[in-house]
Amino acid sequence: MFRITKKESFTKAEAIIYRLFGFSVGIIFSGIIIAALGYPVFKTFISLAEGSFGSSIAIRNTISFLIPLSVTALGLSIAFKMRYWNIGGEGQILMGATAAMGVSMVLPSGMPGPLMMLSMLVAGFIGGSIWALIPGFFRINMKTNETLFTLMMNYLAICFVQYLYFELWRDPAKKGFPGIQDIPFRARIPYVSGISLAILAPLIIVLVVYFLIKKTKLGYEIRVVGESEPTAHYAGMNVKKIMFVGVMLSGGIVGVAGAVKLMGSTGTLSSSLGGGAGFTAIVIAWLANLSAPMIVLVSFLIAALEQGAQFIQVRMGVPAAVADIVKGLILMSVLGSEFMLRYKILFGVHTASKKLEERASVDPTMQDSDPESEVVEDSI
Amino acid sequence: MESIVRNDLHPAFSMRGITKMFGTVLANDSVDFEVLPGEIHALLGENGSGKSTLMNVLSGIYRPDDGQIEVYGELKEFRSPGDAIDSGIGMIHQHYKLAEAMTATENIVAGMKKPPKNSGKKDDVLRTDILRYASRSPAKTQQKIIEFSSRFGIEFDPSIPAGQLSVSQKQSVEIIKVLLRGASILILDEPTAVLTPQEAKKLFSVLRKMAAQGCAIVFISHKLNEIMALCDRVTVLRKGQSIETCTVSEIDAYDLVEKMVGRKINLSINKPDPDPERRVCLDVKGLTYSDSKSVPKLDNLSFTTYYGEILGVAGLAGGGQKELCESIAGIIRPQQGDILVDNERIAGLSPRDITQKGVAMCFIPEDRLGMGLVASMGIEENILLKEYALTKGPLIRMKDATTKAEQIINELEIKTPGLKHPVRMLSGGNIQKVILGREIHLNPKLMIAAYAVRGLDIHSSYTIYNLLNEQKQKNVSVLYIGEDLDVLIDLCDRIMVLCQGKNMGIVDASSTTKEEIGQMMSGTTLEELKRGVSYV
Amino acid sequence: MKRVMSMIVAVLMMAGIFAIAGCGDAKDAKKDEVLKVGVLYISPEDDGGYSQAHAEGIAKALATYGDKIEIKKLESVDDADVEATNAAIENLVNDGCKLIFTTSYGYMDPTVAAAAKYPEVYFSHCSGYKYSGNGYEGKNMDAYFGQIETARYLSGIVAGMMTETDQLGYVAAFPIPEVIRGINAYTLGARSVNPDVVVKVSWTNTWFDPAVEQASAEALLADGCDVMAQHQDSPSAIEAAESAGALAIGYDLTYTGAPNAYLTAPLWDWGTYYTYKIGQVLDGKWEVENYWGGMKEGVAKLDALSSLVSEEAKAAVEAARAEVTEKGNAFVFAGPIYDQNGELKVAEGESIPYGDQMGMNWFVDGVIGQIPS
Repeated sequence: MFRITKKESFTKAEAIIYRLFGFSVGIIFSGIIIAALGYPVFKTFISLAEGSFGSSIAIRNTISFLIPLSVTALGLSIAFKMRYWNIGGEGQILMGATAAMGVSMVLPSGMPGPLMMLSMLVAGFIGGSIWALIPGFFRINMKTNETLFTLMMNYLAICFVQYLYFELWRDPAKKGFPGIQDIPFRARIPYVSGISLAILAPLIIVLVVYFLIKKTKLGYEIRVVGESEPTAHYAGMNVKKIMFVGVMLSGGIVGVAGAVKLMGSTGTLSSSLGGGAGFTAIVIAWLANLSAPMIVLVSFLIAALEQGAQFIQVRMGVPAAVADIVKGLILMSVLGSEFMLRYKILFGVHTASKKLEERASVDPTMQDSDPESEVVEDSI
Repeated sequence: MESIVRNDLHPAFSMRGITKMFGTVLANDSVDFEVLPGEIHALLGENGSGKSTLMNVLSGIYRPDDGQIEVYGELKEFRSPGDAIDSGIGMIHQHYKLAEAMTATENIVAGMKKPPKNSGKKDDVLRTDILRYASRSPAKTQQKIIEFSSRFGIEFDPSIPAGQLSVSQKQSVEIIKVLLRGASILILDEPTAVLTPQEAKKLFSVLRKMAAQGCAIVFISHKLNEIMALCDRVTVLRKGQSIETCTVSEIDAYDLVEKMVGRKINLSINKPDPDPERRVCLDVKGLTYSDSKSVPKLDNLSFTTYYGEILGVAGLAGGGQKELCESIAGIIRPQQGDILVDNERIAGLSPRDITQKGVAMCFIPEDRLGMGLVASMGIEENILLKEYALTKGPLIRMKDATTKAEQIINELEIKTPGLKHPVRMLSGGNIQKVILGREIHLNPKLMIAAYAVRGLDIHSSYTIYNLLNEQKQKNVSVLYIGEDLDVLIDLCDRIMVLCQGKNMGIVDASSTTKEEIGQMMSGTTLEELKRGVSYV
Repeated sequence: MKRVMSMIVAVLMMAGIFAIAGCGDAKDAKKDEVLKVGVLYISPEDDGGYSQAHAEGIAKALATYGDKIEIKKLESVDDADVEATNAAIENLVNDGCKLIFTTSYGYMDPTVAAAAKYPEVYFSHCSGYKYSGNGYEGKNMDAYFGQIETARYLSGIVAGMMTETDQLGYVAAFPIPEVIRGINAYTLGARSVNPDVVVKVSWTNTWFDPAVEQASAEALLADGCDVMAQHQDSPSAIEAAESAGALAIGYDLTYTGAPNAYLTAPLWDWGTYYTYKIGQVLDGKWEVENYWGGMKEGVAKLDALSSLVSEEAKAAVEAARAEVTEKGNAFVFAGPIYDQNGELKVAEGESIPYGDQMGMNWFVDGVIGQIPS
């Protein structure tokens, strides 16, 4: 018998050691697999790093992965703060991009570029937030399960974009091939010395989200609602309204991620535009413990890993599946270390005291409270 | 009736030199504790004094770092709670662990083990019988259980689902369950916390009968009057050490408190006189509320409170206290009735509307961390909870909150490592002070405090009582929902008794008795009492 | 506090990685001697279908040139995900590839963009219509594809001869000209020997999803079809036919997993093209072209007919083979051809011009199915 308990807190040293340990375990395990398949281990890891940071192309690629991941994760984190499980990032990215695409098609072509871009970003925000508010409405008013609902909305969005791609918005200039026209050149986010200005999106949005959550009344309300709805009611908050606005912001920012991807990278819309960022961003948001600055940092590491894993296929001839395993193992180990950092697995009965031991050693206030009053909660 | 005492030369159990460390905290420091067969022995101590640790060691949940346990003269080493049960040690926890959908009988039988052959324990035959009948003849099983229970004067219907039993009946089921597992040493963790005075009295007689039949009983409590009334001896723990074991008849309550707290404490609450003007503050008229499952919670409830007085509310758990508080505070909407503060209608308004109408009111909910505070936030952000909405603009003003938080920490002597330290990591007393401090700072006309001292130690409780009295002296009207009738009588000016959402009557604290309140709690109205009718 | 410390951890990790990466840089000094050839696949190299056919062609070229070339590949790159495609091409360039084959239609626009960005690298894109001089200004991008319709036409003859219900099933990926051409060629082939035949089409809207492909095939079989054909990257339709006791025509590769169903398949043999194109670059004689080889060049061929194929069917195939091989698609799409509405689209003596074949968006008479407009 063993049970899992949440640790009350951990020291800085612990956090560093656990994370380094997790990272190393991931490296070691994937090293074993690489070796077992007959590839040179050391060289493979060097290419992994080289592929992520080793050259200007590598860094550019890493950044282009980083942008949608971080913006999406920032958007999702607002919903997660409210304990609203927005799993619909992928669909919100797509609908944000769809709205931006639609606007670019109806706007007069003579419109100045920056104005056009701004309208597309606003459209992206609206598209994403509407898509998020559909399940949000049902969750807020009828207490439906938003996890399933938002998840399903992803597939609906994919089908909708496929419909646009193959039928409604099919571009006749493509000689019978399906596909949607490219957005006007003036609506594309420009590059400055090789770096897309789209990088401004996460940099601005991280400040906005950080400020929103930490400094505004709305952010404060969002945090209180997430912690406990009864408390929010008690404090006189309009929980429904707060959730509505929170979900709208969350979906909107994710929608902006879609619009930015459309304008900064793909230039056209397809059902693959999300590229799985809506799902990866969930992991990022949690790895970053929903802290906005950390989200950008974690996105950077994940993007680097993603890019590096592709590069080892090229450089070392490692099959895609193996590169995925390496990526997965490193990610798993880091996630595992987070788990080990925040939770404690207890074997047997008497070791229950260990948990309290830890709490007591890190928490000076334990002295005047009752150390034995809390008995371990979850049993497996 | 034959005695189940096996060896009168030995204590039922004796713990010697028990030491248990949690990290740097010494929860038990070489504690000695010994209980004789046939004895009711109180274990007294404040929160954190090591009572629960010691009992968890005895019941096999923790293993001690040092020390010995002997049971009936035999040295034992418990590796698990099962070992302790096999040695005849049974614990009745504060929170009952019954399957609500199963009948009392099923709850009792489930998990019962067949006694080992020739174990020599007295009730082996009975236990074997019960187990044998359990699957075939519920009626016979029930019969056996009723027979067994009646030995101790315990009465309940073993055929009805546990969920339909009253709190005290559930407790009886737990006791029978433990006894039928062969326990002759019984540990009861604050067993009277959830009972009416009448039920508590009944429990005492049951415990006395059990002791008379040779059971050793450990009675954990911090209600001194109960210890004085029930127990033979008392062992006082303080800061992890056993301070003294004394015979109850040779000591008085004041000495006990002194031993427990380590210094003299004035146990009487200094009750200032209420404001003689008797200006009405809160006026509740015909309040009726049913919850979302249409269960009536408040039934045509009417009463008034006055400025400069404390109106106590007594009643059994679930008697409508929570709904009353939440209706007044605007958290739930009563279906009928009216609520006026200073002749201003607030029924149906949201908490924020009420504040914006200028009706200064504060509510200290019973669920501190789940409702009154945001558990993971620090004190300053919790101070913001009530005020952030009052400032202009879209931003929160942290500076004001910080100043106020520092002020409250100083005034109420809150112990915390910092303003941002999550409140859930504070001790219960400090958590309550944070809420009280915040609410007092709103300068309310009306203050509602629900179970304000629940889970607090004596010292913290008295601090809270004093704070409430200070409010009363500032002419605030205080509505105090309480559990401990002694405290209600000592603290409040008048006491309203609720039973199933109805007002049973309001009595004057200076002239009422616990018995009177207890009868009203069980459904007799004050008028009926005056006419000499009683249903209890 | 926690945040600060986590950042320190992350920075430490990255510093470590950079340090390792730094000492790795100097190594590949002698790499310039060999030609690095990059290949982008839409599915795994061993998908038993489209990508495997390309991979086998690359392997043939590698066998021809040995140490002179080195293959750099990226598998499972979603061709509808522009960003992923861009990144993949960038990675190939970053590793020093001087010739890059992008093997799926959806890679077209990213390939154009990359060609413009890296004029010193040669690009060849498969199955699209943009190349140097046609939708792209630079001088370094090729287009290539093959007249697989010739082999489709012959496989249609086999199916037309073998069917008993006169209903053929066709599991098709997307309603795009490449697929529509194949269906039309197949239908024309079948009706050349059996005018009563109809071809029922089921769209899957995916190149590779065995479960969906199988479900579509099963629906067609249940609807009365007794010979299946497919334009997909997995052999699921053949397997569905095998389970249902029906017959099947494969695609891309010989399939040995269904001995009681497999008749033959239109096959790609990309080795011919890859050997030819890599040779051009090795010799320094790169030429922009829109390569469209057929059976004559050996890029398209019909698999050996299995033992299930009747003697009459074999004879019918042989009767047509020589002319199809010689004339290619001009023979397959020679008039008179009527569309689904019975309108004459191609008159006697004419044939569909190349451009119209590339943009084909209508079905010939005998196809039951719709092209979403």
